[in-house]
Amino acid sequence: MNKEDNIGIFLCECGGKISSRIDLPKVCEFLRYSPWGHLEIYPHPCLAPGLEAMKKEIQAKGLDRILIGGCSSRVMKKRFTTALASVGIERHQVEMINLKDHVATVHEGAPQELARKAAALISGGLASLKLLEPYEPVSLSFEGPALIVGGGVSGFAAARELARKGMESILFAKALTPEKVMDGLHHTFPGCRLFCGDLGELFREVFTNPLVKVVPDQPVEYIIGGVGDYHVGLKQADGSVTEVEGAAIIVALDREFSPADVTTIGGMDRVCTLQDLEERLVEGDIQAGKVVFWVNSPQHGRAAQEFAAVAAWRDSLLMVRENPQVKPTVLYPANVTLPLTGADLVEARAHGIGLQSYIPEVHPVVQSGFMSFVSPADRLEHEVEWDTLVVPGVPEDPAVKAQELLRWLPIYPENGGSLKKSHIKFWPDQLPDESLFFTGSAGGICDLNEVLQQGKKAARGVLSLREKARQGRLVSPVVVHVDKELCEGCGLCTEICPCGGIEHVKPGSGPVPRETDNHLCSGGGTCAATCPYEAIKVLNNTAQQLEARVKAISAQMQEHEILGFVCGWGGLSSAEQAAVKGLKYPSGIYLIPVNCLGSIDPSILSMAFLNGVKGIMLAGCTPTHSCHYHYGVDHCWYRINAMKKLLALAGLERRRIAVGYVEVNEPESFVRMVESHLDALENLPPLPKDDRTMAKLWAIHATMHRPRVRWVLGTSLRRPTEKEFPGSQFNAVDADETMLDVLKEEYTVSRIFKALTTQPLSPPELARTLDEPVKNLTPILTDMAKDGRIITKGWEKGYPIYAMGKG
Amino acid sequence: MITFTIDGKEVQGQEDWTVLDVAKWHGIDIPTLCYHPAVEPYGACRLCVVEVDDGRRSRVVISCMYPIREGIKVLTDTPRINNVRRWIVQLLLDESPASPKMQELATKFGVTPSRFKKAGVDFACHLCGLCVRACHEVVGAQALTFGNRGLRKEITSPFHTGSKECLSCGTCLYVCPTGAMEQLFDKVGA
Repeated sequence: MNKEDNIGIFLCECGGKISSRIDLPKVCEFLRYSPWGHLEIYPHPCLAPGLEAMKKEIQAKGLDRILIGGCSSRVMKKRFTTALASVGIERHQVEMINLKDHVATVHEGAPQELARKAAALISGGLASLKLLEPYEPVSLSFEGPALIVGGGVSGFAAARELARKGMESILFAKALTPEKVMDGLHHTFPGCRLFCGDLGELFREVFTNPLVKVVPDQPVEYIIGGVGDYHVGLKQADGSVTEVEGAAIIVALDREFSPADVTTIGGMDRVCTLQDLEERLVEGDIQAGKVVFWVNSPQHGRAAQEFAAVAAWRDSLLMVRENPQVKPTVLYPANVTLPLTGADLVEARAHGIGLQSYIPEVHPVVQSGFMSFVSPADRLEHEVEWDTLVVPGVPEDPAVKAQELLRWLPIYPENGGSLKKSHIKFWPDQLPDESLFFTGSAGGICDLNEVLQQGKKAARGVLSLREKARQGRLVSPVVVHVDKELCEGCGLCTEICPCGGIEHVKPGSGPVPRETDNHLCSGGGTCAATCPYEAIKVLNNTAQQLEARVKAISAQMQEHEILGFVCGWGGLSSAEQAAVKGLKYPSGIYLIPVNCLGSIDPSILSMAFLNGVKGIMLAGCTPTHSCHYHYGVDHCWYRINAMKKLLALAGLERRRIAVGYVEVNEPESFVRMVESHLDALENLPPLPKDDRTMAKLWAIHATMHRPRVRWVLGTSLRRPTEKEFPGSQFNAVDADETMLDVLKEEYTVSRIFKALTTQPLSPPELARTLDEPVKNLTPILTDMAKDGRIITKGWEKGYPIYAMGKG
Repeated sequence: MITFTIDGKEVQGQEDWTVLDVAKWHGIDIPTLCYHPAVEPYGACRLCVVEVDDGRRSRVVISCMYPIREGIKVLTDTPRINNVRRWIVQLLLDESPASPKMQELATKFGVTPSRFKKAGVDFACHLCGLCVRACHEVVGAQALTFGNRGLRKEITSPFHTGSKECLSCGTCLYVCPTGAMEQLFDKVGA
């Protein structure tokens, strides 16, 4: 894909919506010196006749990259890629420039003037397409058993489903006989045991099936590898580690309940928790008399309350069946709907089980032998008599228990104590098949039946992967490539990656190059932009491509115009929404959509300034809660912060770069943002073009490429939820000053390099050239000379003359 | 190749193409509302009506879903068609008088809000289903759906509760022709 004349450009008139606002023939004229193989204006490339015409051109001229200047790529790209797939054009080979929403509808300029802007954006797209690399997906094998870790009950359902379909599995379980599993079940699913059909049969089948290997749950030392080839290291009692290999991992994790503190309510003999009650039931120790189940603790959430209410109902049913002398009552808060069917209620009535709700605003009061509550029916306080009072257990935080798994897999704790597979939210077709399976009530409190269903579903997912692999269709789109030569194995990418796409390495294996699991990778690019050694490449979306785009666009921008980076979610959506709503903003901003602001390499920002861009605006999602790439927007914040510091060091204005946060549904805010930044920069002169400033900008750019700076940027992420600062800094000012020190030093190093490339210089001469006091330079120069980055070429008037070192 | 005429102009097309596809390609403007090239046609708004004469009789059909046939005569701008379209615009305008897209159509057809106007509604949803279709076909999620039936039919998230499927990508906002989605958007996501 290196031949430039294989790019086809198709411009859309959009039935006059674009052609009436942008002079399209003029755009073609502007583009006449750019490299392309075909350029044509269609009234509607997206309609059937347009697609047909496009296909003909692609086949006739052998085009392999397509640029469409029309409307939103979010909405229309799928249409083009599905239609053009028959002539061998794939998703990444299509580039769309949104002329309609970024130029035609939102600006009021003359069509000729807008044609210039449109042409600039298109040439940016061309520059990016030019650097597109061929793209080979990798076929994966899927051999070996499925590893079911975590010790949850859903694992049994998964193992049975797998065994029935002839797939081996290794199940790590806490209890090693069916009876023991049953006995321990009430710790995770109180009240469920006897109401889940063939549960005993399920366990027996799993334990006897030769395809399932049930082994005791052992602490996980590490989980490495990716889909089709996982390695799990298990720590043995003697401290050694054994490794188990498997094709897939199913994480079955349940939320346990710990005993509630009943001592504040009453003595242990009369007041107990659901779990205790079940143990008493097992022992056949059922007291006759009135048993009241009090569903309390709203702090654990409604799901937990519903779960407790159902568990209470089940336990009471169990009790009355065995001993009709028992009179149970379930007292539940009125804001919880009991998930019981009509038949359940009939059964409850037949057995004399009371189901009574209380209004949650008035806390029920426990007395000796009585309990008062306010009924929602008449708002009167009623009393219920009890001999035994039962309260639900406290749901434990699964994150604490599953620490060892969470360290290795992309599963994260959520607010509210449950675990979630990943924070990131994508279009389903952005990711290949699901390859990491997470089941069990740790993902959200639910019923045993539901959990078993989840296990079965996970097993089906694994089976479909195996089926795909058998047909040779299990392919990973290689999204991220790590250059083994450049990678130093620092592991920053693994820490930062939100999707689990960068594989872990064994603990203690030292700095080894990273591998990627492209089945999990979302192509967000935060890792690539963070890598200190620039070893990671997001294929088809490389930093080089973005750099080329910025260069091409800025070459055609006028002096007063600025660049705008918009993230693919909040930023881009609100920008396009502004067009849909008919809002207008000045045409002095050139929008470049990126996946996430976090995927913008720091050197891109400095590159833009080096190319003479007057200012930059970035628009992303509101930090953390709506960022689709976890902390992407926070990563970007730090890069902008560094850029501002460097601009200030170079004597330029910090306000040339600004970031804004906007939600998907806020086009007005976006427009205000653009206007405000353009206003702020209006009276600012363009960047001076003299040699001195250019040398400074060059040094800033070089600084952004320096591993030390990138390392500091990567490790000192500002996460709004965090109160701790990296390293030995203990407050915000401290952390910022450390960063400034590093930037200052590396900036000076870059400037010295720049000065020495032209001629060897002595420290006083350098000081004159750089306009810095000699005493600031001497320690840095001594350091640089020591590690050979510069060499002493000779001596003059007692001063060494430095020149560039080798390499 | 299928040859037929639109407004007397001889045009050609392939099987499976619709009248609207060919007309737009040849620069003949047919107003549409519930049509979007990104999704399959649906035929909800009926604004794209044209008169089709197949040699036996002349009928008013929706062009977005009418497959082209050999020898048919399509008329896009007749008094009969304009009358139908004006009534459709009239009724839709009364539902969402503040929507820019509807205002544009109203000026084009010389229609003003009438006695049918719903009181206090500026951006009513026309139930054209573009958001539902885009969410399903373009995004691949199913965070939006039609709820209820008849007069109470509405756009909602499945089971009327916040949908975990919603990616808050804003595709539904982008395709919504009336701006009704803006009010709905925050209720859809979980």
